[in-house]
Amino acid sequence: MLIPTTEAEAADMVRNAASAGQRLSIIGGNTRSGFGNRTETDAVLHSTGLSGITAYDPAEMVMSVRAGTPMAEVEAALDANGQMLSFEPIDHRGLMGTQGQPTIGGVFATNASGPRRLLSGAARDSLLGIRFINGSGEVIRAGGRVMKNVTGLDLVKLLAGSFGTLGFLTEVTFRVLPRPKTQATIVLSGLEDGDAARAMATAMGLSVEVSGAAHLPESVRGRFLTGRLPPGAATVLRLEGLPASVPVRAEKLISAFQPFAPVTCLEADDSAALWQQVRDVLPYADGSEKPVWRVSVAPSAGFQLVAALRLETGIDAFYDWQGGLVWMRMEADPEAELVRHVMHQLGGGHATLMRAADADRALTPAFEPLPSGVAALTQRVRASLDPAGVFNSGNPAGA
Amino acid sequence: MQTSFTPEQLADPHVAQSEKILRRCVHCGFCTATCPTYVTLGNELDSPRGRIYLIKDMLENGRPADAQVVKHIDRCLSCLACTTTCPSGVDYMHLVDHARSHIENTYRRPLMDRLIRGLLVAVLPYPARFRAALVLARLGRPFSPLLARVEVLRPLAAMLDLAPKRAAPVAKAEAAPPLAPALRRGRVAILAGCAQPVLDPGINAATQRLLARFQVEVVQPQGEGCCGALVHHMGREEAALDFARANVDAWMREVESGGLDAILITASGCGTTIKDYGHMLRLDPTYAQKAAQISALARDVTEYLATLDLPRQAPKGLTVAYHSACSMQHGQKITLQPKQLLKAAGFAVKDPAEGHLCCGSAGTYNILQPEISAQLKARKVKNIEATRADIIATGNIGCMTQIGTGTDIPILHTVELLDWAYGGPKPAKLG
Amino acid sequence: MSDTIEFLRPRANVLSRRDTIITDLKDLLPVDCLVHEARELVPFETDAFVSYRRLPLCVALPQTTAQVSAVLKYCNRYGVPVVPRGAGTSLCGGAIPQEDAVVIGLSKMSKILEIDTFNRTAIVQAGVTNLAISDVVGPEGFFYAPDPSSQMACTIGGNIAMNSGGAHCLKYGVTTNNLLGVKLVLVDGTVIELGGKHLDAGGYDLLGLVCGSEGQLGIVTEATVRLIAKPEGARPVLFGFETSEEAGACVADVIGSGIIPVAIEFMDKPAIEICEAFAKAGYPLDVGALLIVEVEGSEAEMDAMLALIVEIAHRHAVKTVRECQSATEAALIWKGRKSAFGATGRIADYICMDGTVPLSQLPYVLKRTGEIVEGFGLRVANVFHAGDGNMHPLILFNANDPDEAAKAEAAGNEILKLCVDAGGCLTGEHGVGIEKRDLMRHQYSKADLDQQMAVRAAFDPQWLLNPSKVFPLEGRA
Repeated sequence: MLIPTTEAEAADMVRNAASAGQRLSIIGGNTRSGFGNRTETDAVLHSTGLSGITAYDPAEMVMSVRAGTPMAEVEAALDANGQMLSFEPIDHRGLMGTQGQPTIGGVFATNASGPRRLLSGAARDSLLGIRFINGSGEVIRAGGRVMKNVTGLDLVKLLAGSFGTLGFLTEVTFRVLPRPKTQATIVLSGLEDGDAARAMATAMGLSVEVSGAAHLPESVRGRFLTGRLPPGAATVLRLEGLPASVPVRAEKLISAFQPFAPVTCLEADDSAALWQQVRDVLPYADGSEKPVWRVSVAPSAGFQLVAALRLETGIDAFYDWQGGLVWMRMEADPEAELVRHVMHQLGGGHATLMRAADADRALTPAFEPLPSGVAALTQRVRASLDPAGVFNSGNPAGA
Repeated sequence: MQTSFTPEQLADPHVAQSEKILRRCVHCGFCTATCPTYVTLGNELDSPRGRIYLIKDMLENGRPADAQVVKHIDRCLSCLACTTTCPSGVDYMHLVDHARSHIENTYRRPLMDRLIRGLLVAVLPYPARFRAALVLARLGRPFSPLLARVEVLRPLAAMLDLAPKRAAPVAKAEAAPPLAPALRRGRVAILAGCAQPVLDPGINAATQRLLARFQVEVVQPQGEGCCGALVHHMGREEAALDFARANVDAWMREVESGGLDAILITASGCGTTIKDYGHMLRLDPTYAQKAAQISALARDVTEYLATLDLPRQAPKGLTVAYHSACSMQHGQKITLQPKQLLKAAGFAVKDPAEGHLCCGSAGTYNILQPEISAQLKARKVKNIEATRADIIATGNIGCMTQIGTGTDIPILHTVELLDWAYGGPKPAKLG
Repeated sequence: MSDTIEFLRPRANVLSRRDTIITDLKDLLPVDCLVHEARELVPFETDAFVSYRRLPLCVALPQTTAQVSAVLKYCNRYGVPVVPRGAGTSLCGGAIPQEDAVVIGLSKMSKILEIDTFNRTAIVQAGVTNLAISDVVGPEGFFYAPDPSSQMACTIGGNIAMNSGGAHCLKYGVTTNNLLGVKLVLVDGTVIELGGKHLDAGGYDLLGLVCGSEGQLGIVTEATVRLIAKPEGARPVLFGFETSEEAGACVADVIGSGIIPVAIEFMDKPAIEICEAFAKAGYPLDVGALLIVEVEGSEAEMDAMLALIVEIAHRHAVKTVRECQSATEAALIWKGRKSAFGATGRIADYICMDGTVPLSQLPYVLKRTGEIVEGFGLRVANVFHAGDGNMHPLILFNANDPDEAAKAEAAGNEILKLCVDAGGCLTGEHGVGIEKRDLMRHQYSKADLDQQMAVRAAFDPQWLLNPSKVFPLEGRA
């Protein structure tokens, strides 16, 4: 177990491992370790020894944090200043059945994002700068502290979501946003999946700036807000902003949809609670090992994917990102080939096996297999950062 | 932009002027976006920035024009969309004028090209010859597809295709009775023009009726002829200046005898040139001042009508797609008045998409560059037809001929619609 | 012409094969798609960074991805450098060729392939202009958010190469935040697709890496971009201040207060005069600095935001506050701002800097910028995206005076170093290109740059793609 407390120490450890031909797996809070491909490792390199906020000026809306800092600490500091991470990183503990403290490094290494993805982007969109140790044990700085920066290659994006396969993050600098002063959620009840997809697409095309659009079919609806959502499938649309504007926009949405479905409105507290539950995949945080897929497709393809799979196998599903993010729990087998086949027929996307029993995980590639041209390139890119294959070997983030 | 001219080169006032123009260009490339030929061909050499660079290179090196440069300058429509777009204020018009006359003076075109240009120069500016040519064209039309098969003969085919299918009646000079000075609101001359009265004499007739109705006295000075734009755009500067001088003389006689409030032009292509007489003749000591005076009096007919404050009419229930000729919107920067006049006259007015793009007429361009011209025409017609308008209005005879051969929607001069709205006869084209 | 920055020495074995290369490329392309006559190459010798010029070997203007692939494959096989070119509007020389390079111009690939309002995406060829997308989707109630000032002319391919920003990025992000997928031709001619209409793609974020890579990793021929629903309304408001420092401090306070307008643009007195001369937008001429603050949303929302912003502005002794009254006026205000660089050509030649600094450093950097330029005996106009600290000092000079040109370049370098030292970066949205290449070592350590170059080499082992740009020539692997 390697727990560096300084960046230099971390660099030494990686350098030693590289020269000794050792393989390292990188771990932050170990709350997301259940997904991804299984890794082979000689030692575990922990980020938790690198902790603390190194710079935070709320007026600049930028924060720099050592990678092993617990999310709770980051969020508390932001909260105290009325700010937030706009990309709403998912907390994987419930879904994965893990314990411990998620770290900010883990958030960026997995590009963890939430419902605001369709408006504010993913973790990678907020990440401005990083420091990391490459596979040769060198400290590399990429990006910076400013929002606009096109100085050289964007290694920041490359490292975000690379699952610790390209380098060991030691510090991250990211953009934060003011927390919206208030929010509300419009609930359309009783829509079929396809109608819900169309309703969400319509809502996203209106000038009301919807910041969350999810569809919770009747099978999962009761799990949210302890069953307080109105009966029938719930299509939920979130509005955030100034108190002067949210009710006006809500009214606009309500009048747009009233002719087509029963419409209700959730006030700020319920709305906030609901979206946190959507973010954390509450219906499938069930303590089971039933396989769970996270499928990213074009919003128009999400409900078609689920409908097609239903004809073949037992699944339960709900939708975020206007229908473009499908959370699916399989009754038994992961059915990886089926899922990926249907997804490709519907125009392609990205299916990740988030959770499965060990036996299934061993047999199923967690990430979407890449086309050959991209796979070859991916290997070359990986070799350019980690020539000796030190990091998280066996888990090349989908390659 | 950096330039490199010797003091000896700059002693030539034309070169000095071009150097000054070139210095303003910062090579930002905005002009490419609105250039019809760049949009059509996707080659920077066929964009204003590319041409500016070609011209710069040619002038700096004091080189005669060559086939490559000529090809790309010839493809320029002189629509001047680039000058509307250019934030730096590059005077592309006078730069390309200089380049064209440089080409004319230093480059010998292939035989067929020379013949066709010679034909256009000898015929178009002269109404009688043009009228005779149209009769011949009608006879020759069946041969057009045959001619179109041979590349160097394509301009001839284009010419035959453009000729109107029916002959327009010979214009009758409707001498309006002079108004007593106390009653009249103004006294103006209308440019009779050269090609327009042959192709569509109704335009000036409508203008005269309309003006008379609003107590404006119209005079027709003797000795006035083609404005010179046609030969000017072919680089024949001396010929152009001769036309200009003749017109200046004709109008100055009228200015000095009865006085003129304005010289009205009903073809915006001519308007752009007449407004430039002051510049064109700036180096001619006997004419410089007079020419400037004439340019200052020149107005597009809609510019002048807009000052008359015509009464608002009841809605007509007709939608007009207003096509702004390049010489109108880019050459003369007149964009609002024609539409305001049409709206006041009771028409619903629509702006077709990509209104800044040329229809491909551009003087003799549709004859000399038939392929590009045809593509631009098709694009223009598609945009106009998308408005689902009942009528197309425009202020330039060239556009009327060009667009008219591509659509079934009737196309009229703005002033013909105004004349109708204010009590004149319904235009024949509206059935 | 300046010559401080060197280009790579042309490869003799390429120059000597010029005629063969041209003959071979002609076979790979349709007629009229290869420019090679000496005269015709001259207009391609530079882009909007006119201080540097190099003639290319020839210019290929392919019409399809397959043709791009064929040309790249050929060049890769024979070791011929390639310089991609969109509309040639780069302010850092990103599209300036070199004597041994084939320019691949994407200007003939200008079709909008698909508009999908359900999924809010557009698929366009790389040569489509930025503004063309918004023009086409506008009637459907959508727009494409990144809006570089050259948006009417610059292409999506170029935007991706430079990760272009614009005035409205404060709210909507830059190109990389609005790009969902690309079709990319690798140097060996392989065509790959990255991303698509889905928000998250598999594997490494190669899309994010390609965006902003200045044509060094491959040539993008198609892009899938995100469309956004147009706001209900938008209102630019002009705030005039006595001094630049007051305006700068006001910006920092607005952002710090938790209000994020869609845009906050800054102009100093020289810039105001330049823009007003072109656009006649009614900018106040009696102030020392101007902010254009745009808010959007419903009337109620805009009123509420503006009230807060006006209150903050008053704390900074704002002299004039003028709300725009009509859509025509708003368009003029933006036209003036977006034409600022070009309009500067009316009074002088210029080079435009692009450093970004943390907001708190704005007033200091502005002041120092003025001092630096004055120190060289030149004038400066400042017009830039204040909300995100992306500065654009325009250093004015006379290009026909070699001494002034050299001074302007030297002043520019000092300003960029100042930006880096203030905690910022060399370039926010224009790119490194040729212009800032030799300053890269000021921002990055050797290890940082070596790592970037190693990643670059994973895409282009022979360094054929836009090879004179971005990375300093010495110390390349």
